[in-house]
Amino acid sequence: MTWLMRRLTPGGFLFLMLNEVRLATRAARQRRGGNLVWSLLIIVYTAMGFWLASGLVHFPIEPTHVGFTLVFAVCVLAMSFMTTQAMLRSQDTLYQAGDLDLLLTAPLPARRVLLAKLCGIVANIIMVFAAFTLPLALPIALLGHPGLFGIPLLLLALALLSAVVGLAITLLIVRIASPRTARTLAQIVGAFLAAGVFLASQLLSQGPEHESAGRAVLGWLVRHEYGSHGLASLPGRAALGNVPSMVAVLGLAMLVFAGAGTLLGRTFLTSYQNAPARLTRSRGRAKGGIARHFRQGLFATMFAKEARLLRRDPQLAFTIVLRLIYLLPVALPAFTHGRGPPLLPALAFFGVMIAGQLAGSLAWLTVSAEDSPDLLTVAPVEKQLAERAKLAAALLIAAPFAVVLPLAIALESPRAAVITLAMTIAAALAAGLVELKFQRPAPRKSFGRRREGSFLVGVLTFLMTGLLALGGGYLVWLAG
Amino acid sequence: MSEAALEIRGLSKSFDKKVVANLDLRVAPGELYALLGPNGAGKTTTLRMAVGLTRPEAGAVHIFGVDALADPLAAKQLTGWLPDEPMLYDKLTPAEYLGFVAGLWRIPPADAAPEAERLLKWLELWNERDTPCEGFSRGMKQKVALAGALIHRPRLLILDEPLTGLDANMARAVKDALRAQVDAGAGVVVTTHILEVAERLADRIGIIAHGKLLAEGTLAELRAQAGSDDLTLEDAFIRLTSAPASQ
Repeated sequence: MTWLMRRLTPGGFLFLMLNEVRLATRAARQRRGGNLVWSLLIIVYTAMGFWLASGLVHFPIEPTHVGFTLVFAVCVLAMSFMTTQAMLRSQDTLYQAGDLDLLLTAPLPARRVLLAKLCGIVANIIMVFAAFTLPLALPIALLGHPGLFGIPLLLLALALLSAVVGLAITLLIVRIASPRTARTLAQIVGAFLAAGVFLASQLLSQGPEHESAGRAVLGWLVRHEYGSHGLASLPGRAALGNVPSMVAVLGLAMLVFAGAGTLLGRTFLTSYQNAPARLTRSRGRAKGGIARHFRQGLFATMFAKEARLLRRDPQLAFTIVLRLIYLLPVALPAFTHGRGPPLLPALAFFGVMIAGQLAGSLAWLTVSAEDSPDLLTVAPVEKQLAERAKLAAALLIAAPFAVVLPLAIALESPRAAVITLAMTIAAALAAGLVELKFQRPAPRKSFGRRREGSFLVGVLTFLMTGLLALGGGYLVWLAG
Repeated sequence: MSEAALEIRGLSKSFDKKVVANLDLRVAPGELYALLGPNGAGKTTTLRMAVGLTRPEAGAVHIFGVDALADPLAAKQLTGWLPDEPMLYDKLTPAEYLGFVAGLWRIPPADAAPEAERLLKWLELWNERDTPCEGFSRGMKQKVALAGALIHRPRLLILDEPLTGLDANMARAVKDALRAQVDAGAGVVVTTHILEVAERLADRIGIIAHGKLLAEGTLAELRAQAGSDDLTLEDAFIRLTSAPASQ
């Protein structure tokens, strides 16, 4: 990227846009691993694409109403993910990068700077989605289905539209609340989308027909003729090679992008120039005395601090909830009208599993992700005692959530509830102690990726809680 | 000789190279000691070893007679530490932060709350007491951290570049506060790059370079060691710190 930039006019539109792409790709590389891993994945994925394409050489891909509906559904889903990504990128590039002061004080037109930033957002969205779609789509297009060359154009159109929608939502949220809220909201919406898709697919595949989730959704859309006729069928037609549709889709997207981009850029610039130097500070209301913040004893002090930190980080709390949502399919077979395992053992298993995972996550946050380790080191508190206090805080925070299922089971069988509760406590303690034993300091914000740093700890926690959950389920089954 | 607030003997530490080499230092109660030195001289490492953040390879640290390596908890109970980078939690408010720090030092709430209120008012943070620190400027964060370092009324206060990011009024207030600590009998050790601060504030000044104490004493004594009575501290500092390199 830098090599290419050296050949462009410094300060020119392309130069500025490539700079945005460079910054975003470097940040992504830091978050998700090195060039080599990505290159290898893309190569393997492209090879799969060619293998698939060779099998489809003589298979006709005709423009049908079902195909249009399928493309329409994929476009809606992709655009919702793209929009949340655009919100994140907008927040990054406009409020976090810290380079706007530099760029806007440089002898460059502000419009060019903002347009380059917006195009940078588009480029970043495209890169992510292109990595998923093009290694499959392009080989198929090359080997006998040139109509599919419409897919990259459709991708570009979707990215252009998503960028302006994402930017508009971000500016609106910033106007109402703050840039930080915009970021949190984008992450939560994105995570909800992913979890929603995942859960919906799991629920649908548990249905009476036992058909795949995708087939069930597609069937419903086809029956209701979504995306198969009129303007809604344009993406499908464009993706399958209809040239007038390609021109219409891309032309419309570019028009919206240019118009809305200019308008939003001007709006942002006005708010930027009228805002105080620090955009992120939201002042809390002073509320009387401060005696309520002072606790007697180390455990109470530590609990208050950890509970506050978690409560004030909705994004983090949400990530924890999300992890638990991804465990929900474990419990789904219990609700399949007698076709799955018996209800109480399945619930016991699920309850113990959830408690272990929750306690493990919270223990990681309190023990490994300490924001100010030096403060605890210089304090006159033994390290082990401080860690025990942190673990106790984590378990106490987890407790109200962990007892929900044992309480629900108690309505049916008190004996099963006692067993579940005992195994729940054991799983939570085990997960917490594993974190305590194998802790590795890490920043709090890396929670979502913590397993990269301690993969074995993650596996160990999962195995231990899984075994205890199996034991719990088995004992409840024996007791029942 | 009375018991030292801080006594360092033969302190050594290496990372890739020797950072602190057989360093001796003594700060008396009721004394403000300024530790000066060029970048990478070993000032921060020395202070981090004194407060228990870095383990020395050799040497001893005593705080009011307590062996900080043998009984670190007792030594820490007496010490307040303000690093260059404030030790804060962005999501906590100043009042909550002070509540947490007071809990760590096991100060009874009945004593800690009024002291916290006094500190917050003195540092002009009272109106911000319920605002999370995340949006604070560097100077405000530094003030919150300073309040945290003072809330347990330490007998030895160690500060690494305490005036960084503070405005002129607040810098003056901090200097007055340090003087007040000294007058109350506490030992205070500061590192600073602002030589004027050391010149005006410190009872004694130590100049460190390459992990070794090159010179130590009052301003007059340093001038004498530098070879001229009418030097400024800046002149003396440059003359003393450039000497080893030229030898």
